[in-house]
Amino acid sequence: MSAVTMSPTMRRLRLSLGQTVIFIILLSLLVLTFVPIVYLAVLALKDNGQIYGRFWSMPNPYRWENFALGWAVIGRSIVNSIITSGSACATTLLLSSLSGYVFARHRFPAKEIIYTGILALLMIPPILTLIPAYVLILNMGLENTYWALILPWTSGGQVFALLLCRSFFATLPEEFFDAARIDGATELQAFWRIAVPLSIPILVTVAVVRLVTTYNQFMWPLVAISSPKRQVVAVALTQFTSEIGVTDIGPRMAAYITASIPLVILFSFGMRQYVRGLTAGGLKA
Amino acid sequence: MTVRLQRWLTAGTLLLACWWAAAPSPVLAQSGEIWSDNLASPITGLAMSADGQRVAVGTRANEVSVRDADGRELWTFTAGNSITGLAWSEDGSRLAISSEDRFLYLLDGETGEELGRTKASRTFNSVAISRDGSLVAGASDDMQVYVMDSRGELLWTDERGLGVSAVSIYGTGDDARVVMGAHDGRLSIFSKTGRQLLTTRLEYDIDALAVSRSGGRILAGTTDGGITLINGANGELVWTAKADSDVTDVAMSADGQILMAQDDRGNVLYLDTDGSIVRQLKPEGEIRQIAVTGDGTRLAFGLADGQVQVLDRMQQSVGLATATRTRNMAITATAGLVALLLAGAILLIVFTTGGRRMWVQHSVGPLNGLAAVWRARFSYLLILPTLLFLLTFNYYPAFSGLYHAFTDWTPSGHSPWVGLENFRFLMSDRFFIASFRNALILVVVSIVKTMTMPLLVAELVFNLKNRYTQYWMRTLFVVPIVLPAVVEILVWNNIYDPSIGLLNEFLELVGKSDWSRVWYGDPKVALSSVLFIGVPWVNAFALLIFYGGLISISDEIIDSSRVDGANVFRRFWNIDLPLLMGQVKLLLILNFINAVQTFELVFLTTGGGPGDATYVPALELYYMAMRMDRMGVASAIGMILFLIILVGTIINMRYVRTATEFEA
Repeated sequence: MSAVTMSPTMRRLRLSLGQTVIFIILLSLLVLTFVPIVYLAVLALKDNGQIYGRFWSMPNPYRWENFALGWAVIGRSIVNSIITSGSACATTLLLSSLSGYVFARHRFPAKEIIYTGILALLMIPPILTLIPAYVLILNMGLENTYWALILPWTSGGQVFALLLCRSFFATLPEEFFDAARIDGATELQAFWRIAVPLSIPILVTVAVVRLVTTYNQFMWPLVAISSPKRQVVAVALTQFTSEIGVTDIGPRMAAYITASIPLVILFSFGMRQYVRGLTAGGLKA
Repeated sequence: MTVRLQRWLTAGTLLLACWWAAAPSPVLAQSGEIWSDNLASPITGLAMSADGQRVAVGTRANEVSVRDADGRELWTFTAGNSITGLAWSEDGSRLAISSEDRFLYLLDGETGEELGRTKASRTFNSVAISRDGSLVAGASDDMQVYVMDSRGELLWTDERGLGVSAVSIYGTGDDARVVMGAHDGRLSIFSKTGRQLLTTRLEYDIDALAVSRSGGRILAGTTDGGITLINGANGELVWTAKADSDVTDVAMSADGQILMAQDDRGNVLYLDTDGSIVRQLKPEGEIRQIAVTGDGTRLAFGLADGQVQVLDRMQQSVGLATATRTRNMAITATAGLVALLLAGAILLIVFTTGGRRMWVQHSVGPLNGLAAVWRARFSYLLILPTLLFLLTFNYYPAFSGLYHAFTDWTPSGHSPWVGLENFRFLMSDRFFIASFRNALILVVVSIVKTMTMPLLVAELVFNLKNRYTQYWMRTLFVVPIVLPAVVEILVWNNIYDPSIGLLNEFLELVGKSDWSRVWYGDPKVALSSVLFIGVPWVNAFALLIFYGGLISISDEIIDSSRVDGANVFRRFWNIDLPLLMGQVKLLLILNFINAVQTFELVFLTTGGGPGDATYVPALELYYMAMRMDRMGVASAIGMILFLIILVGTIINMRYVRTATEFEA
């Protein structure tokens, strides 16, 4: 029987059958995906007695104090992460919007050579620069300081940010800037009053991508920061065991959840920008 | 054009030099400090366990204070008189103490409980203990060496007839060997039972001894300021270095790679394995005792004023580099960079048509070019901060890494050119070879993971008719992205936990407990376990990319395919997939680049083990640089990975171009 001759009822039935199959497959994949997250949440609310004694039961009573214990250990490193990621992101935005503007709207000798030189950095994987950058930081006497994270992160983020900013600024119509010039605006005023407000969406994109990337950074802080007081949360979480002791599973899991909160906040409004940013950066590269 | 470029680069170089000159100079001596404390009495004994987790400090005021890795006091012990020496068994479970109260003590390292003691007729001046804690030796001023077992039973004594002030022990159990250095310069090795196995003669009194873990290297400090390395197998002298005055203490890491000595003027000397004094440091305060952990990661100093400092050796030694040398290095590197850029520019001009055209267009004379640069000075000024950042933190490390791949780069700052030696070394490094096999598997599997599940889910979600369900499905699949990357790995560590992990508990629940195992510890399943992390691998980012691609396919194409009677699978193959090639290429390259550099996934789970079952190149790079001090080798690994990524990217770029043509 061909599809054309199927009765409407049959077609609807077949359609809904297909839809049900799709739905069931998706649902089971969803369940699998969420297993670790649910497991994490359940363990975070149990104490060791509950975990070892009644592994499969729900927390009873709920041990909310695990979160307080977890926070006591990694609270400081979350703050460290926010400070370093935040400062690096802000500086990146400032510098790369400025130079993106210059590269998009100014004409000067060797412009394209310099720009190509900057873009070439996209080909340099972080693993190549890890050890030399570490020695550089040591020689500057900056090891174990926030600067050891902020400066390289600021620098590294600029390549990608510059790429996005330049291509965005290049799309802005020349008339805006001509008008500003006629009204007597200086170049910096034109940048600050016209280009920046118009480019808020792209700047938010850059900010979200940079914040997420630096917040998740593991290897560089592991190498550059040795003091627990200055350590960022991604590394601090992995060193948790030695702090409280292997036995306290609950507070550890609670700390993992707490460490996700900044990302939850960031993604709750910046998910679209994040994906757009990574896609644009990747395709251009 | 070259002139312009040259002027511009010169200016950049000068600015860069100023930048470096203005950078804070490294703090001397204090850098790399992990903890320090003052015990108010001169430090006369200092020892660290092999892993640095236990530190014992003995003072002239009869006290022994045992600390953990962070300097917290665990317990104390009081002897009848000043402490003269301390020694840890390898795991820190036994501590041997020599004291002027004429006793040699053996204590439990955890509790401080006394396990045994031996008495001499005069004071003990030094002590040693075997790795397993089964044998303790002490040298006494009564010219005898006393050797006791783990219960304090005296096994034998040795009458030298001459003063002995240095003992050491290597080996374990019945294979333990006692090494002693006497005042006549004689160095002897005894078996556990007291049989003399080997003797050799130095020219001056031996005051200090250190032995590598295998006993292959013996470092002796003599009263004439000599620091001598002796081959423990045959007693032959390997080399001798000279300090300014009496050598009172020597220290060596377990592998014999890290060598230190200290003279009675308070100088600390760092030696390389060829016997040259790499550095001499005269810290403030008089250093009386030095110690280094077996793995060589930490140093400890005990001072005459009662101060104890425990330092990160790596950071301390690099921190010692003077500001001058840093500047020289930076300037040399910058000059090299400029030369490279210039060479590149010249090559471009000579060999490419575009470059030649540019040269002709701009060859109106240097004055004109300079004038153009001057007119555009404001533009240069605005991009200057960006350029300075990139030159300092991106370009310089990249070139430094490529350069140092051909040198024997150590934290001391020495980097002699060794050509391809590092690469040759890597080719014979079992772990490195294994790491490549694993990296290949990781790359392939990670690409397969990203290309299948997210695409499948994207297609399924896209094919849902109900808008509402579609929205929620997409959203829920993306939710896990809010977990920091390390948290996902750590949660999976917990799932795989052999004693209380979800996986083994689940297997027990369904009656398959014979399937359960130590997932990371079994060489057969370790790599698969690591690869299995994140099942069902619906990567949120890839899902959104694919989904975004699908919704951008115009409805008309889909409708027309439906009219043509194409079923879902035909549509997928003939329409969706070709139109998604851009997304496929993007994810392909991003995944490839990330997978080649895999580090956390292995570092946080198996640490590369068991054996080399899960070793990856980035892990070897990290260990080489941070644990072994072989930064040259680490740079060589970095360079190899860089080249692999470069080749992969170029291949992918070619491929992308054909895909775009196909799409158009």
